[in-house]
Amino acid sequence: MDIQCVSVLPRVCEVLAASGSSLPDDTSLEKLLDWFTATTNTGVSLLESAPCLLDFISNVAFSSTSGPGILSFTLKLTGLIAASEDGFKALEECSVLKLIFDPHHWKEAGLWEDPCLRIGWIQGLRKMLQHSKALRLFVQADLIEPLLQLQTDSSLFVSSAANQLLAHVLLLYQSLSSAGCNGANKRDLEHSGVSEQTIISCSGIITNVSEYLKKSLVLKESSHPPQSQQILKLLTLLLVQLRPPLQEQLLLTVIDSLEELVTKRWSLPLMDVILAANSSLQDDCVSKQQIVRLLSIMLYMKKPADVIQVAAAFLRSRQHDPTHAAYAAGVLLLPLDIATGISLLKTNSTGVDLRILMTEQLKSKSCISMICVCLTNIPQITVMAPDCLPCPQRLIVAAVLTFLRLCRGDSSSSSTACVEVSRFVTGSSKVQKCAMEALSELSKSPEAEALLADVFKLLTEYLNSPDSDPTVLQKSYKALINWIGVCRDFSSITDQLREGLMQAVRKRACDIRWEARDSTVEFLGHLAEVCPIGEEREPLKTLLGSCSFTIPLLKEALQDPESYVRASSIATLAQTLTFSWQQGAALTQEQEEIVTQLQEILSQDSEGFARRAVVKFFTAWFSSCPSPTSCSLLMQSVPSVLSQGVADLDWEVKLHTLELAELLLDKTFPERLPLHPYAVISNQPHTCHAGENESDLLCSLNSLVDQGVVPALLCGLVDCDRPVALKACQLLIKLRDTVSSLLVNAADPRVSCMLPGQSWVQEMRGNKDAHTQGAPHVGSESRDEAAEETPCTDGDAVCVSVCEVLRTLDLDKKLSVLMQSSDHIYNSPLSLLQDILTASTAASNPNSDPGQEVIVDCY
Amino acid sequence: MKLYCLSGHPTLPCNVLKFKSTTIMLDCGLDTTSVLNFLPLPLVHSPRLSKLPGWISKDGAINLEKELKECAGRVFVDSQPEFCLPERELLDLSTIDVILISNYHCMMALPYITEHTGFTGTVYATEPTLQIGRLLMEELVNFMERVPKAQSATCWKNKEIQRLLPGPLKDAVDVWTWKRCYSMQEVNSALSKVQLVGYSQKVELFGAVQVSPLSSGYSLGSSNWIIQSHHEKVSYVSGSSLLTTHPQPMDQSSLKNSDVLILTGLTQMPTANPDGMLGEFCSNLAMTIRAGGNVLVPCYSSGVIYDLLECLYQFIESANLGTTPFYFISPVANSSLEFSQIFAEWLCHNKQTKVYLPEPPFPHAELIQTNKLKHYPSIHGDFSSEFRQPCVVFTGHPSLRFGDVVHFMELWGKSSLNTVIFTEPDFSYLDALAPYQPLAMKCVYCPIDTRLNFHQVSKLLKEVQPLHVVCPEQYTQPPVTQSHRADLMLELQPPPMPYRRCSVLNLPFRRRYERVYILPELANSLVPSEVKPGISVATVSAVLQSKDNKHTLQSVPKPPPAPPSKKRKRVIEEPPVTLAHKPLLSGAVPLEAFLATLQKHGITEVKVEETADGHILHLQAEDTLIQLEEDGTHIVCDNNEPLRATLRDLVLRFLQKL
Repeated sequence: MDIQCVSVLPRVCEVLAASGSSLPDDTSLEKLLDWFTATTNTGVSLLESAPCLLDFISNVAFSSTSGPGILSFTLKLTGLIAASEDGFKALEECSVLKLIFDPHHWKEAGLWEDPCLRIGWIQGLRKMLQHSKALRLFVQADLIEPLLQLQTDSSLFVSSAANQLLAHVLLLYQSLSSAGCNGANKRDLEHSGVSEQTIISCSGIITNVSEYLKKSLVLKESSHPPQSQQILKLLTLLLVQLRPPLQEQLLLTVIDSLEELVTKRWSLPLMDVILAANSSLQDDCVSKQQIVRLLSIMLYMKKPADVIQVAAAFLRSRQHDPTHAAYAAGVLLLPLDIATGISLLKTNSTGVDLRILMTEQLKSKSCISMICVCLTNIPQITVMAPDCLPCPQRLIVAAVLTFLRLCRGDSSSSSTACVEVSRFVTGSSKVQKCAMEALSELSKSPEAEALLADVFKLLTEYLNSPDSDPTVLQKSYKALINWIGVCRDFSSITDQLREGLMQAVRKRACDIRWEARDSTVEFLGHLAEVCPIGEEREPLKTLLGSCSFTIPLLKEALQDPESYVRASSIATLAQTLTFSWQQGAALTQEQEEIVTQLQEILSQDSEGFARRAVVKFFTAWFSSCPSPTSCSLLMQSVPSVLSQGVADLDWEVKLHTLELAELLLDKTFPERLPLHPYAVISNQPHTCHAGENESDLLCSLNSLVDQGVVPALLCGLVDCDRPVALKACQLLIKLRDTVSSLLVNAADPRVSCMLPGQSWVQEMRGNKDAHTQGAPHVGSESRDEAAEETPCTDGDAVCVSVCEVLRTLDLDKKLSVLMQSSDHIYNSPLSLLQDILTASTAASNPNSDPGQEVIVDCY
Repeated sequence: MKLYCLSGHPTLPCNVLKFKSTTIMLDCGLDTTSVLNFLPLPLVHSPRLSKLPGWISKDGAINLEKELKECAGRVFVDSQPEFCLPERELLDLSTIDVILISNYHCMMALPYITEHTGFTGTVYATEPTLQIGRLLMEELVNFMERVPKAQSATCWKNKEIQRLLPGPLKDAVDVWTWKRCYSMQEVNSALSKVQLVGYSQKVELFGAVQVSPLSSGYSLGSSNWIIQSHHEKVSYVSGSSLLTTHPQPMDQSSLKNSDVLILTGLTQMPTANPDGMLGEFCSNLAMTIRAGGNVLVPCYSSGVIYDLLECLYQFIESANLGTTPFYFISPVANSSLEFSQIFAEWLCHNKQTKVYLPEPPFPHAELIQTNKLKHYPSIHGDFSSEFRQPCVVFTGHPSLRFGDVVHFMELWGKSSLNTVIFTEPDFSYLDALAPYQPLAMKCVYCPIDTRLNFHQVSKLLKEVQPLHVVCPEQYTQPPVTQSHRADLMLELQPPPMPYRRCSVLNLPFRRRYERVYILPELANSLVPSEVKPGISVATVSAVLQSKDNKHTLQSVPKPPPAPPSKKRKRVIEEPPVTLAHKPLLSGAVPLEAFLATLQKHGITEVKVEETADGHILHLQAEDTLIQLEEDGTHIVCDNNEPLRATLRDLVLRFLQKL
């Protein structure tokens, strides 16, 4: 703990104990507690380093005149200190512990009503309950009663925290008692502070809790639904975390109540309880049979909307129960079966009653939500073992396709169910989106390829339809990409289909809604990635992928009024061209035009997105080019991209520019890779280049300057955006370490570069002063003079010697400053403590000059 | 109340309502789809059209070479196009008192009704309806008269011959009633009968009914009509829209509490959402221009074009179409664009507020100022010198049978770079294109119909709750091509009454009340007596005067005093003996009490029989029947006057006398 903080802390404690009302802001107590927690986590004992805290706690506990905020803080702090056995002992000795966690004490003071205090009580206990002594205190003081009452507290925060605490108590009990049972001898136990007496006395808790749950499950059900949900959630939590002896004990007590609930009223949290019990119970458990029975009761319910939820929850929880899983899948497919008229299910597999009821239900507006549940859970069905599936996946795909057609208002079936459903789903983009998602997922199904042509046709129809919502269009594109991605054989795609798709894409690229244009452009990019042009997969190339189709569309999109679309089109151009770059193909006239256009965007576009994309485009180009230096256009463009990028107003553009600079740096000085993955990488500066001669290094450095890398890094270093400066600093350190051999000798004037702006001169001067002060013996007088002269100004620009700069700048110090967040001073504990003190003095002198008040300027 | 249906076209209605001694024609739509059977009228000589072969029946028996031409497997009539008029034989058109017009598309048959039929009534319409309607009529006349065709084909209409014709001509109905276009003179005469009305203005018709137009939100000045008497209300809903386009929004609340709602003019494109279509229009336009082609938009010179231009105004920039010229060619282009800007009070709120700013309500003014949109009366003259390609041309007529559009179809039809985009829903685009086949030009069909769709209309009807709905029969079943779409029809309880061309419907409600005024002095003389708490009645003797469908009760004039005569004559001093004034009776005879009274009077053997309206008492010993009914009591008793009198008195005991 900082010595300054320790000296201020006693006064802060006084202030807090005296009056907590004059805090600088609401969060200061939280921050204080965070600081204490962090200190404790480093292994420091709070009481040892700050004994004043003990006095503070007892002051507050006995006076109980403080505000609820301070009290809550004190409770939490007490818990934090008592979490260690030593702290616990110290607090117990001054007999404050029992008092402070005694609800009656607070009730008498009339403070228990405040949820703030109750939450402090819970969290304090939660922190404290780490060892058996704390548990014993908990049992002896009979705190379980108030804790159970808090389970259904009117404040949701309190009740939820109380749930957590209860689970924690039981888990602690479980871990202590299992430590007691696991053959450890008595002496070990006594040593660890667990006496058998403790365990026996604590076992009352579990009975208490079970009885409580049993009662409140059925009692509260009818009167307070939110509270009963809370109890169910707690039960789920306990069943998941507890282990066999306790778990079963708990379950045996509540199972009758659960059964009553299952038959009386169904709810999703109840389902969670049953599923949790089912998956965590061992098969040989007594109550397992009962749980399985309850599960069947729920699965075989007759209320369509509920049973669909149950089936979905069942499949999502991945239970190992093939019979039930097959049934649940059947239930989920039933609405599709009815709506599309495609028989996915064997007759009677889900029962005639359910089918009739479901058909009725689908005639109402609620069919939308039911169908959406079915569609969103189709992925759960597709991962099932084939022998559990009620029908081949091919049929499911066909049904989804038919259903999607229904959503467009076109249907071949004239069954009444179909007509009724279409009334609600036609044009509903919510349903369409769900169905598209399902179709995307189904591309993974084993028999996908046979249906490719159908899928292709339908998706083209959707892309063509003027009524498709942009979000639906986006999902359609995604589905198309998924299907194209998994298929190897495209012989089923006729020219007509292909032409239809191209026409649709061309039209959407001119859509009036920018979202649609954006999705279209993105689609072209994904397509380029999923089917690299020129590879073996010929059919893919001819789908759309040929550049003569996409590039003109993308060039148009570069001029789109919406910046997102411009940015997407730039990214897509990069994706589309990657392959030809990798092949080292010669640049076409068109590509050269694109490069010019991109440079214009970088220098003129008003929106950051597009400019960021341009820099990334060049990064992609550079990194995918096998030998970038042989591509003259690329090497010509890089300096201007770097100089413009680093001078951009948008910090992300600058950061991306530095990433490009890093690529160039790495290309110039390729790092030696370790020989094998387990090789130890030296922490020493990278000086493997010792073998290289100086002139090579000089030459490389010169080329870096020419390419604009060094000026970009130096500009970045003084940037006001911290991430930019940090990145530049890291890269400069890398550069410095690489060329260190050059720096040893002298300030080498042979490599120099121009930098814009005066800020550089100041940076250099400031650094030089520090340099000469901190290390007076480095460098002779004359060198300093030379350095003094090096920055020769030319108008606004400054010319600096690169080696000199690298040598003079204290990059490591700069790095350590930059690594800290910009608000580290304001967030330091000392500043917090001082704030608290200042606020209290300000509050105690209300007549002080108002002019002294700190005026917060939110600019 | 009767409804005569003179048109079978659901969006171009023409109905006549007989209501309380008035005869009101609701709309006057002209079905122009008949022109699709005719050859296009080219503005400049078209070698292609003039070389088409004439039609001769297969066996050579019928030779109509002169009248019918064959093109791409279809037969067209080579004469001036003719229109299918509203039915004129169903009732005597001269008896029509007033014609109510709901929007400018629904008045195109007006000259056929008001001229040469003996019509002497008044036509009511809002100002924009009249002015834009006049423009559309002028344009139609201009299109026809510009390219006069001497020949008038009539032989093919012969029933015997028509039966043998191929394709759609054979199935055309009422071809004998088809008429050529009217003249400008007839238009002027017809429009001179129009009287202007404003929204919610109440117009009295002969004191019998009151009519009043309400904003319908479909086009500038478009209206629905309320026709009401004191106790009955009929709403006439024609082309209405709930979308936010340029006109004033629809007034829905005033339609509430209607006894009958006549519903016409729903969207012709129930499955095409106007927003989607507008987007489709823009993207196809941009796609064509980018590929270097021209875009042709056949359209009316008013209406949707305002919205199209507004949409394009925003889209031009985003699609980089700033340099592409847009041409609007119509004999009335200039007036249409200018008129739209001055009807401020008829515009939607958003546009109304712009009127007070130094900017015009519609952005097409700016398009014109910046020379992006140019308008010309025809392809002749200035246009030919300024014409640049690629470009976008808006021109009429949407049927592609006459107007400048014919020229562009001939000019651009051969290149697949060009696109024709249909936005008007009135014509089937395939039929419209038939005489231009084979056609290389791309065709895009994005009909924009902002009128109510079935979803909107069922919501509207749920809200306004009319007792009865009358609508064209087309609305009571799903479209033929989409028979599974149960959502594309009206489903109401009670089901709507369908009509078709030439139907005469007896509207299912009877007038039960009539308002009668009572003069103050007469009212003063009344002596009310209370029959029930809160209800008093009085007898009135008065003279009923009916004039201009107003009924007034006046005091009975005193007989003029007898002229004083000197001669003593045996004159009857008293007025002629009127029948003794019988009191009016009211109330009901309570059965139990009545039986008890009968018993008291020694009548014990009574058999009571329940009937639909009351009871029949059979006094068995006396062989007498007493029928007690809601509105009458009869004593049937043969030859026993004393008994009848007794019974009568017993009955009277239970009744109140006035």
